Amino acid sequence: MNRNPIKIGKLVRRTIFYLFIVTLAVSIILPAFFLVSLSFLSTRESYSYPLPLLPSLKTDYSLTHSDRGYLLSVYDKFDKEFQTVLDTAELKKMSVYMEAQIGTPYSIPEIEGRIAELENGTEDTVFFSARKNLLLNYTTFFAITRDAVPALLRSLQIAGLTILVSLSIGGMAGYAFARYVFAGRDALKFSVLFVRMFPGVAIALPMVIILSNMGFYDRPIGLTLVYSVGSIALTVWITASIFMGIPESLEEAAQVFGATKWQTFLRVTLPLALPGLAAAAMYTFLGAWTETVSAIILTQFNPTFPVVVYQSLLGAVGNVNLAAAGGLVLAIPSIIFTFFIRKYIQQMWGGVTI
Amino acid sequence: MTAAASTKRFRDFKSKAVPYLLIAPVVIYYIFFWIRPVLITVYESFQSAAGTFTFQNYVLVFTDPNFMPALRNTAIIVVFSVTLEFLGALFLALLINRKFAGSTLFLFVAMVPMALPAVAVAAMWLTGFTAHGWINSLLYYLGILTEGAKIYWLAGSEWKLLALVILIDAWQVIPSMMIILLAGLQNIPEEAIEAGYVFGGNFITVLRKITMPLLGPTIQTAIILRLISAIQIWLIIVLLVGFSRMPVLVERIVYYYKEVPNLDISLQMASGYAIIVSFIVSMAALLYLRVSGAFGAKKEAAQ
Repeated sequence: MNRNPIKIGKLVRRTIFYLFIVTLAVSIILPAFFLVSLSFLSTRESYSYPLPLLPSLKTDYSLTHSDRGYLLSVYDKFDKEFQTVLDTAELKKMSVYMEAQIGTPYSIPEIEGRIAELENGTEDTVFFSARKNLLLNYTTFFAITRDAVPALLRSLQIAGLTILVSLSIGGMAGYAFARYVFAGRDALKFSVLFVRMFPGVAIALPMVIILSNMGFYDRPIGLTLVYSVGSIALTVWITASIFMGIPESLEEAAQVFGATKWQTFLRVTLPLALPGLAAAAMYTFLGAWTETVSAIILTQFNPTFPVVVYQSLLGAVGNVNLAAAGGLVLAIPSIIFTFFIRKYIQQMWGGVTI
Repeated sequence: MTAAASTKRFRDFKSKAVPYLLIAPVVIYYIFFWIRPVLITVYESFQSAAGTFTFQNYVLVFTDPNFMPALRNTAIIVVFSVTLEFLGALFLALLINRKFAGSTLFLFVAMVPMALPAVAVAAMWLTGFTAHGWINSLLYYLGILTEGAKIYWLAGSEWKLLALVILIDAWQVIPSMMIILLAGLQNIPEEAIEAGYVFGGNFITVLRKITMPLLGPTIQTAIILRLISAIQIWLIIVLLVGFSRMPVLVERIVYYYKEVPNLDISLQMASGYAIIVSFIVSMAALLYLRVSGAFGAKKEAAQ
């Protein structure tokens, strides 16, 4: 009995704590939620105000006779009434409108079926509903945005090449940092850290001429060379800490049993380092996949995917739903990879040094 | 100890060469693709069109009517966003500082804003801050805005825009900084905090004399890395209000290089701004290397 007040107090405190956590989580995630929601809105929905909080999954239509042909109306959930959107006799126009503006693909034969119902039935209005194609904005973004598909492939190619360059070059140096004492070690460590923080945009400008001379300007290999500057530094840092975490005694044991140094590295060190190397690769991917300013400077006719989304946003007064779809395609790989390497990101920020 | 073992193992000359062979690619790469472009930029910034030594390029940048506004805006964004982000993150971290059910999920949610590419973040807020965007819609559904009333977020003074940019950056950064401070807080031994209270300290004194000093290195790193990114904020501004409306330093580089590429002075201006940005960022980076102890790093060599 007399312990009840304490329990209640504890309960109240816990409830308040969780309310606080939930509020915080909601305010963090809310803008992202709206971006997702917006990317599923039909063009008509995205022009309405207030914007619907959730995309509709289907649309209710009504069809009736008019002087010119047929009157197509759409049920508006906000105003709670049917609103006329089209007055036409052309079925093709109707079908195109239903797909492009409302997001509900509806074929001409299907429309003919509804018209037959209208002609043969006793009612002067036919009601029907059509399912929405939720992925329409995504397919439309890639269909109508010039360069979107090649840019996506190019971005993947650049990210892959950057991973290759920085893991091989940076990984070797990381191993040297972890296992050897050598002259100039501190100087190199210093410059690696410094380069990691140096603004990429400052390298991008002079690289325009250097890459042009090499014939690499406006090509994926050119951007790879620029991105690798920063990502090699990052990879050195990550791989050094990975190799330091693998006890040297394991390598020594392998050599006692007669393995050569090269065999030891391939059979013992490398397998143990693989998860960490994967993290380094993902980190590099994140940098190359999202980088914008150097890509804007170093591309002309062959932009990367972030540049394409940037350009579609820069001009976008309308079609925000399409731009949102493009933005999400860009964001999803980043979020997935961040999930896998969140531990390393936190360590970087927390100031772990080589 | 390890150093002694290493010397024993790698006594012969062949082994001594190994580390240098391993680091050679990095060194060569940096000479070609980092030192060379940087030196070229610096060299050319002192060259006139006729190829003689001149300060004229810098005079050109410093007398650009948008130079002072760009510098001022950048400084304001850096100072206020980093301060707000640090205090906000510290406040939240101190409030949350404990393990709770669902913390893994919460911590991941908190990482999401940082994970988003700048362009996606801009898409998110651009669609939010337009007059018929989701922010006004949400305010309407919450009953704060009456029907037909809209807030024109992107219209009005530069100060309002600066505040918006700082708030957007805070949204993106505070959650992650909070996680880092949380991790730091949870590494502080409980005895240290308890001892503070036992010796008569209150919450504030314990925070000031024990918690903060122990968090010190974590805080320094997080703040300086944030500072470096904040100096380079530009994309969100350009996508919200376009070029030249609220100039910042990096925005000027893109503006001159990509928006008005055909002026006589486009390249000089872009390079000039790039050098200024590099200089400021380098100062911050050197500060970081100094406080993180990279200068006197001999003691931690080879573990």
